[in-house]
Amino acid sequence: MLNPGEKAYCQALLALKSKSYRLAAEEFEKAAPHFKNDREFNLIMETNRVLVAVKKKIAAQESDTIEVEEILPYG
Amino acid sequence: MKTDFSLRSLEGLLEAFLERMVHLKHRRLGVLGGINRLDDIARQNDPDEIADEVGDWFAEHNQWLTESVLKPADIDRIGKILGEINGHISAEASSSPAARKVVQEIGRWQEKSGARSSKLVLKRGAETTEDSEEMDTISLFGSSFERCAALFADFSGGKKHLLSVLDDSLKSAVVQKNKQALLLSAYLIYYLKLNGYIVDPFVKRLKAAERLHKEGSTANA
Repeated sequence: MLNPGEKAYCQALLALKSKSYRLAAEEFEKAAPHFKNDREFNLIMETNRVLVAVKKKIAAQESDTIEVEEILPYG
Repeated sequence: MKTDFSLRSLEGLLEAFLERMVHLKHRRLGVLGGINRLDDIARQNDPDEIADEVGDWFAEHNQWLTESVLKPADIDRIGKILGEINGHISAEASSSPAARKVVQEIGRWQEKSGARSSKLVLKRGAETTEDSEEMDTISLFGSSFERCAALFADFSGGKKHLLSVLDDSLKSAVVQKNKQALLLSAYLIYYLKLNGYIVDPFVKRLKAAERLHKEGSTANA
């Protein structure tokens, strides 16, 4: 059977394929100890990590905007 | 607003990078997905369910053996997983016709992939004389020195400068993993250094060639 690291890397890449970036980040974290010297792995994992962080930030800003928009009509 | 725009553009950039990476690895991801699916099947407990799902897996992925999509490591991984599935099905559901068919199919796959992976490759190390083990170090060095001189004669033919000879020698050391070329390169670098040339870039190339040579020796061992 595949070892846990291989399986997690594999699932992370498949998650990227389906654009499930958050799931990919979780799988990359699991695989990381097994591939710490793999440059390609690190590049993809870090890019995905930054993307998830950016999405989180955007989501947070959007929720702030919604609150402002909701408050304004009611004064 | 400006931050929002920057974040959106960074998001687009990162997504585009990952999408491109996925696109480039499209075929590879297909293989990994298939191996991962087979691994999931192997982790199940119900032999009948395993037999059904492996049957579907074969129907979907049998063409892998005829197309050159699998790397030797993939063939090895799949072979191991199928071996485990085979053991599981054979032990627990030998009477089921579906299971027997799957066992046959696994055997057929392993036979085919085994025939492909056991391709005979002849490898030959550096030529040595029969009594080389009994030769003393002086004779061995003498013979190596002669071969270096012959190599130098080959490389220097038609060249106008020693640096071009060194360049060829280093290329041969890297591409052909030629030990004599590696020795000749080291000798030439030292000679050039003593004569005031800047040799640092060549030393880097020599070290890289040496690493390759060591890796090659380890792989052949």
